[in-house]
Amino acid sequence: MSDPTRVGVFVCDCGSNIAGVVDVPAVVRYAAGLEHVVFVDEGRWSCSVDALARMQRIIREQALNRVVVAACTPRTHEPLFKATVKEAGLNPYLLEFVSIREQVSWVHMHERDAATWKAQELVRMGVAKAVLLEEGAEIRLPVGTTCLVIGGGMAGMTAALHVADQGFGAVLVEKAPALGGLLSRISTVIHGRREVPATELVRAAAARIEAHPGIRVFTGAEIESLGGYVGNYQLAVRAGGVSERIDAATVIVATGMREIDAAGHFRHGEDPRVVTQLELEERLRRGDRLDGVEDVVIVQCVGSRNETRGCCAIGCAVAVKNALRLAADGAGRRVHLLYRDLSLVKDEHLHLEDARQAGVRFLRFPDDRYPELLETEGKLAVRVHDLLLDRDLELAADLLVLTTAYRGDDSVDRLKGLLKVSANADGFFQEAHVKLGPLDFPAEGIALGGCAKSPKFLRDSLEEGMGAAMRVSIPMKRGYVEAAGIVAELDLEDCENCGLCAKQCPYGAIQLSDQREPSLLQALCKGCGLCAADCPMECISIVHYSDAQLAAQVDAALAERPAEKIVGFVCHWCALGGVDMAGVSRLQYPPHARLIRVMCSARVPIRLVERAFERGAAGVLVAGCEFPTCHYITGNYACDKRMERARKKLAKKGYDPARLWTLWCSAADGPKFAGAMREMVRALGLPAHNGSAASSTAGRAS
Amino acid sequence: MEAPPDSRAPILVIGAGIAGITCALNAADYGAAVLLVDDTPSIGGLMARLDKTFPTNDCSICIEAPRMYEVGNHPNIEILANTTVKKANRKNGRFAVRLVTRPRYVDPEKCTGCGACIDACPVRVPDELDGKIGGTRKLIYMPFPQAVPNVVLIDPRCRSGAMRAQGACVGGCVVDCSQCRECPIALCVKACQKEGKDAIRLWQAATSRNIEVSAIVVATGVMDVRPSRGLHGYDLYPNVITYTQFERLMNAGGPTAGRIVRPSDGRPAHKIAWLQCAGRGLAGGIPYCSKVCCMVATKQTLITKEHDAAVETVVFLNDLKACGKGFWAFHEKARAAGVRHVKARPYDVVEDPATRNLVLRYEDLETGELATEEAELVVLSTGLKASDRNEGLARTLGLELDEHGFFREPDPLAAPLETAVAGIYLCGGATGPIDIAEAVVQGSAAALKAVLCGSRKEHACPTRPA
Ligand SMILES: Cc1cc2nc3c(=O)[nH]c(=O)nc-3n(C[C@H](O)[C@H](O)[C@H](O)COP(=O)(O)OP(=O)(O)OC[C@H]3O[C@@H](n4cnc5c(N)ncnc54)[C@H](O)[C@@H]3O)c2cc1C
Repeated sequence: MSDPTRVGVFVCDCGSNIAGVVDVPAVVRYAAGLEHVVFVDEGRWSCSVDALARMQRIIREQALNRVVVAACTPRTHEPLFKATVKEAGLNPYLLEFVSIREQVSWVHMHERDAATWKAQELVRMGVAKAVLLEEGAEIRLPVGTTCLVIGGGMAGMTAALHVADQGFGAVLVEKAPALGGLLSRISTVIHGRREVPATELVRAAAARIEAHPGIRVFTGAEIESLGGYVGNYQLAVRAGGVSERIDAATVIVATGMREIDAAGHFRHGEDPRVVTQLELEERLRRGDRLDGVEDVVIVQCVGSRNETRGCCAIGCAVAVKNALRLAADGAGRRVHLLYRDLSLVKDEHLHLEDARQAGVRFLRFPDDRYPELLETEGKLAVRVHDLLLDRDLELAADLLVLTTAYRGDDSVDRLKGLLKVSANADGFFQEAHVKLGPLDFPAEGIALGGCAKSPKFLRDSLEEGMGAAMRVSIPMKRGYVEAAGIVAELDLEDCENCGLCAKQCPYGAIQLSDQREPSLLQALCKGCGLCAADCPMECISIVHYSDAQLAAQVDAALAERPAEKIVGFVCHWCALGGVDMAGVSRLQYPPHARLIRVMCSARVPIRLVERAFERGAAGVLVAGCEFPTCHYITGNYACDKRMERARKKLAKKGYDPARLWTLWCSAADGPKFAGAMREMVRALGLPAHNGSAASSTAGRAS
Repeated sequence: MEAPPDSRAPILVIGAGIAGITCALNAADYGAAVLLVDDTPSIGGLMARLDKTFPTNDCSICIEAPRMYEVGNHPNIEILANTTVKKANRKNGRFAVRLVTRPRYVDPEKCTGCGACIDACPVRVPDELDGKIGGTRKLIYMPFPQAVPNVVLIDPRCRSGAMRAQGACVGGCVVDCSQCRECPIALCVKACQKEGKDAIRLWQAATSRNIEVSAIVVATGVMDVRPSRGLHGYDLYPNVITYTQFERLMNAGGPTAGRIVRPSDGRPAHKIAWLQCAGRGLAGGIPYCSKVCCMVATKQTLITKEHDAAVETVVFLNDLKACGKGFWAFHEKARAAGVRHVKARPYDVVEDPATRNLVLRYEDLETGELATEEAELVVLSTGLKASDRNEGLARTLGLELDEHGFFREPDPLAAPLETAVAGIYLCGGATGPIDIAEAVVQGSAAALKAVLCGSRKEHACPTRPA
């Protein structure tokens, strides 16, 4: 019976980049001797158009059903070879990529024998994995075209309008009786030197919303229940005494913010002469000119920039705007603005100049000495230490305005549970990635925007509303969300319903039934493998990175002279980036390591580490992204903790735990990876010359 | 992520920093065809050159490179690097644009980025970005290791003969390179042929392309302000550098592999001073606050401390801008790590010729007194300005710039990111000084504007309400 598994190996010379160091013909001969390998090709440039065409022809002619490419790095070239294999009619997940340029020829330039041997072994590891590869497929979950927008402030309204303008449906739920949010309590909004009444902006947006056929508005509404995931959210909302159930495909969270409770600060709440900025705004908005108020003191940073809370982000501009207004409106009125730092950016300094012109006095006080409230004979005054004069001053205050910190809406605590997202101590929702995912939650199909994330100005809230609309519109326009073929698979036979997998999944892809039985929505899975590595019953596997496949690579790496070797698990995103960077920079390091790629360091289970030691490895390296970066949010943190446990287990089993290394390496940090290699080889006392194998022309490695 | 390309005319995104990249990816994932144009040889913008990013200290290229590769592999996106927009005429609700691509003198289809030519090139010159801190490149070079497209290019000075004195192998012929179709002299050509590629085309000329697009997004970004000569000793003393140069200095992928050393002697700097708002309000400086510099300095001091906690770091600043999520905590972290902050107005910087250390004289804003401080390295935080190509682009597109050279939005409160021309939108540093997260938000938002415009009937593109 002929072997049903037909592996083709394509080894690239990369001109002289690989062939100049590695004896490629020897690698080819070696590969030809490996089990299941039916065809081996050497290409001068495997990525050139003609070589790719040739590869497709060979795949067809030789009826290959597995392909191993030994060339540069999968980080840049895997998509190209995947597409090629796919065009040849083979499932692209049956391709395995082996890196013999970045990991071999560029970093072991002066050790040709060792380099050749390492290349051969990497090919052997690649083939060992390839024979176990399964077909993968993109998995889709249908997504409809209705978006639920929670919060009817400017961000939420903007989001709803932009969703509906595309022809999608928007359901806008606002708990207050009217739309507008914070802005409907504010008097004016400034930008540059322009000042616009806030009412105008709210009215214009609300009018468009109400006239829009694609938007359903619920005001004075209460969310009775809410749950689900992209494509499948269910909402029960109660408004005007009526409950209604609504299905939605996507969600935008735009619940805004409120001032912190100022009670306890400067007798706010006890004395009507002490108001917050928002209370002042409400008075100004009503046309109150504050007649009779002659002395105004504004105090910045109330409840902010301290141990528990950061900068309120908007208070300086708001205070300057209102100080200017108060000074301009009242002839002879004295306005003092007490601050620590004036956070005025871009063109906001223009206002500062205007305010100074209008007579507002700015007074800087030290970080550690807050102004104090005094009352003598029924009159309020503020004592402040003026930094410039280095002296305490007492300022009379008919009106004391507190620029307070802000916090998320009171509903956040409940919402975050319903939507399975997180928020910080101040009730601001946590975005998926501070830099590159500012509008996303980790799970797909649910976005956030505006002050629900952190305090911001109107303009920024509008942008976030639009941006959030775009984030949820992508799956609605396509009609689906899709996971690449690298996803988890559950086999519940041994499952003991511990629920760990569902608890850990950063993407909400694993749900628990009432009986705590997990189920997986593959389309939401990103394939990090955290669940698979930690499942105590080993019920979870990851397509393309199964335990069996990884174990086969470990075994193949350690088939010969294991005591001279380091088995390394490296994450695709950063650690492998560091490896590649070391290659690009031609940093030379000892050739003892055999690297195994995983998507995330969180994929590496303790049992695999143990296996490497049982097979005689000198050392094991687990390398992931440098904190705090992780492509899967916190996979490296989970891995770090797990490897701590692994060390304890290893010690119990009699292995020196110091032989397990972890490395958190950025994709730019070639020197760090190369340095770690040198350090490991030194610490493990490995022979400097990891020379040519006796088996460089070897036949079947079992 | 594959989506069927839209049959409609593509969207043109001008500028491929993180804002343009985000805009392109969002529009392309939505199903639109996208042309992503940048007038430098690689996409990535400023972010590709940063070390870490505040306020989390995520490594910049680690998070950006995957997005760059995604752009490079996206079926709906075409990248045109080294390309400028020369014409954009409104026509039937679309724009007829003319794109001119400067020659790389290398065939991008054939170059695999292997670098054999770079090894062969005999001339090393200071790098545009890193020259001041010892960074060099060859006359044929890769913009940076993660560049997309990953194709080398040749410094045009080499062909013109301007580098003969420096040892360039070509440029001395009687006929001009553009006349030849074969070069027996150039070492890079030989090296490439030896590798079996023959990708180098010294005779290459600019190419142009006329195409209709449905909408345009301007994402031309920001530039760091170069200090004028003499500002706090810049250009006079080698150990006075800009904050961008410092960023490169601490970057493991930079010219010193992340070692924070002095340009004058290559020795580690033990005491470093940052001057915030450097040049602000002075000739050659900017009048406004760029809002990122305080956090950039916080990041740089923290990372300096992480490299070596014994290094003394002091930041001379005016008002601390920590107005963003997590910024204050980030600042506090730096303080806890021993970074000193002094509210100050710096007067002058003088070099001690013996040590090449710098003596700073400043007014302490809290005491009003004049004080001095000596440092081994001085970093000038000079702020962000608009792209210096904005003026030309504004003319081409019929847009207005504000007094600082950023694109003007007629009504930023009612219709942010829109311009006076329906169908042209803005994002990222094109709107003003900005940080990465904000640039990403705007990139998504502008993408929505553009796809909405692309899918509508003529003249129905979202623009400012009358
Ligand atoms: C030293 C320094 C450190 C920083 N650190 C941080 C940090 O830690 N965290 C943070 O959030 N931000 C940081 N920033 C700010 C951050 O770099 C910017 O917010 C961000 O890069 C802006 O992205 P962008 O896409 O808008 O612009 P850019 O990155 O500038 O991209 C614009 C692109 O457009 C191209 N272009 C310009 N004009 C044209 C034209 N006419 N035609 C075609 N193409 C054109 C340019 O070549 C460029 O590639 C830092 C900035 C500096 C200077």
